[in-house]
Amino acid sequence: MRRPGRDDDPDRLYTVTGGRSRSGSDTFDLVTLVVSESEPVAGMQSEYAEILRICRSPTAVVEVASLLGLPVSIVRILLADLHAQGRITARHPRTGESADELPDPEILKQVLVGLRNLTPER
Amino acid sequence: MTTEIPPTPTAAAPVPADRQGAGTAPRTALVLLVAVVVAAGGCLLALALTPSSAHAAVVWTGVLVGVVFCGAATLLAHARFTGESLRRMLSATRADNLALQSEIAARQAADRTLADRVVPLVVEKLRSGSSAETALAAAPPTENEAHRKVLEALATEVHRGEARRASAIAAAANAAGRMQALATGMAADLREMEHRHTEEEVLGDLLHLDHRTAQAGRLADCIAVLTGARSGRRWAKPIVMESILRGAMGRIGGYQRVRLHSSSGVAIAGHAAEGVMHVLAELMDNAANFSPPTSEVHVYVEEVAAGAVVTIEDGGLVMGEVALRRAEQAVQGSAEDLAGISGTRLGLPVVGRLARKHGLSVAFRPSAHGGTGVLVRIPRGLLTEPPAEAAASSDGGTLGRGMTLASATASGRDADLAAAPSAHTHEHAPDEVGSSGLPKRRRGRTLADARAPQRPETREEPDSLPRTAEESGSRLGAFRRAVQRAEAEGPDGGRADEVPAPTSGPLPEEQPLVRGRASGTARSDAPEADPSATAPIHASPRPEEDTR
Repeated sequence: MRRPGRDDDPDRLYTVTGGRSRSGSDTFDLVTLVVSESEPVAGMQSEYAEILRICRSPTAVVEVASLLGLPVSIVRILLADLHAQGRITARHPRTGESADELPDPEILKQVLVGLRNLTPER
Repeated sequence: MTTEIPPTPTAAAPVPADRQGAGTAPRTALVLLVAVVVAAGGCLLALALTPSSAHAAVVWTGVLVGVVFCGAATLLAHARFTGESLRRMLSATRADNLALQSEIAARQAADRTLADRVVPLVVEKLRSGSSAETALAAAPPTENEAHRKVLEALATEVHRGEARRASAIAAAANAAGRMQALATGMAADLREMEHRHTEEEVLGDLLHLDHRTAQAGRLADCIAVLTGARSGRRWAKPIVMESILRGAMGRIGGYQRVRLHSSSGVAIAGHAAEGVMHVLAELMDNAANFSPPTSEVHVYVEEVAAGAVVTIEDGGLVMGEVALRRAEQAVQGSAEDLAGISGTRLGLPVVGRLARKHGLSVAFRPSAHGGTGVLVRIPRGLLTEPPAEAAASSDGGTLGRGMTLASATASGRDADLAAAPSAHTHEHAPDEVGSSGLPKRRRGRTLADARAPQRPETREEPDSLPRTAEESGSRLGAFRRAVQRAEAEGPDGGRADEVPAPTSGPLPEEQPLVRGRASGTARSDAPEADPSATAPIHASPRPEEDTR
């Protein structure tokens, strides 16, 4: 365990979100892919800038959280802020309407087995 | 003095009276006797010289003349003797007076020496911590008993007071230090819990507690600063300005009213970061407390030649000239004086002490927002470049919070050698996206690079296509495995036994993904991440919770 007060950052999590603990939107779950739509601007809160930088390529929410070193709930709040400003877009791996058109799990299993067979044996 | 002086006048006064009574009366009686003898002799002579027929007249005349003569002689003698005695008495009194005057002058001089030199010397010795005996020994010796007693009483009392003060301050400093340690430990615990509990309600409560703890910690810091104890936390690395400002605003009650306007990328050296943060926190707290609860407090950072200037402006009441002067006096007050400190207004004395310690200059002026503005100048000596290890810490992800990418890579140039793969990945990331037809995940690959340095060469080889296919397959496998494990642990708690067997092939490839997910956040994040990852597949993610 880290020695407390030594290697922490002095800014607490509630200052990162301005005291909010709820994102107020369910746009982002853990596996939502986030893509930034704009570049960070000067004077922007560093977490926002960092998210925009990370999400230049599609990145899952949980990965953003991991890269930022912040709890997922906090990151979801930040992402919701950016989403409200139109600076990022969210791509859901599956949406409600496409859930019906999902391929059969059996087919997916076969695809998986096929893909594994592609990999050379070690 | 009291034993000597009072007897002197009472003894001096009766002496002439005695001398007068003892001197004049016998001598006057002697003169009377001589006069009587002379008069009697004259009468007898006259009787002898005159014929006896005239004896009666001669006797009567002789007696008459003798009596008159004796009375006159006695009176004359008495007057003469009394005059002499009075003159003697006068001169004696004059001499006494002179002696008394010189004695008084000497005593006054001694008093002045005592008041002007000896007492300050003794008190100073006592203040600097020496014992009463040492302080008295250092004082010039005096033969005046009263002075010695006064000095002894004074030294004993002052020494006792000093000892009481010192022990009270030491106790307060000790308690403050323990409070600081508790608050710091609680903050660390809370941070860990905040990472562990992903539920929004729990997180909200934890953040609330976190805020309270930070405020309690600031109070402990105040007492520690005022009692001269060491500052609570030490930051081993430079802290960037954004973190300084947020660390400061996180310690005050009304932090949600504070608006930060900073694009400054400077960092403050670790040893001064805590002090600067505390100064800014106190000033922000003042600004928030002395302005309407709906108004905002604006904080600006400006880099100047002499350092960095942080301006804190509120929209509260304009401080008058007197109030501004008083505030500046409080900030510049003497370092040792705790006398003017009240229990509720600790802020400005604390700011003053910290400012002196770190060489900050604090100025108050009317604000453009209608309230009061406080300018804190942080000298250039306390400013450094942002920490370079942040850039190398993980995948360039936490690369210099609050910095632009260019400045971050410039400052983190030293770290580039160590973190060469990640830097490369960062630069080439846009090119590699989609080159294999699948969205490539920088994170996994970077961690794989960090774990196995031979990977960059193998990626350059022409047979990169099978590699990417292998990677894609392994990723899909890992993802599927995670989902199935989550399902197995989720609703029914049973384990899907057939799942691990087919995925044992690409074991080295799937590790980066799992590790990558767990490395940045708290390690206990991963098990909770998986069940909730499957949540939107099976059920809607409970929207009523989010709207509350």
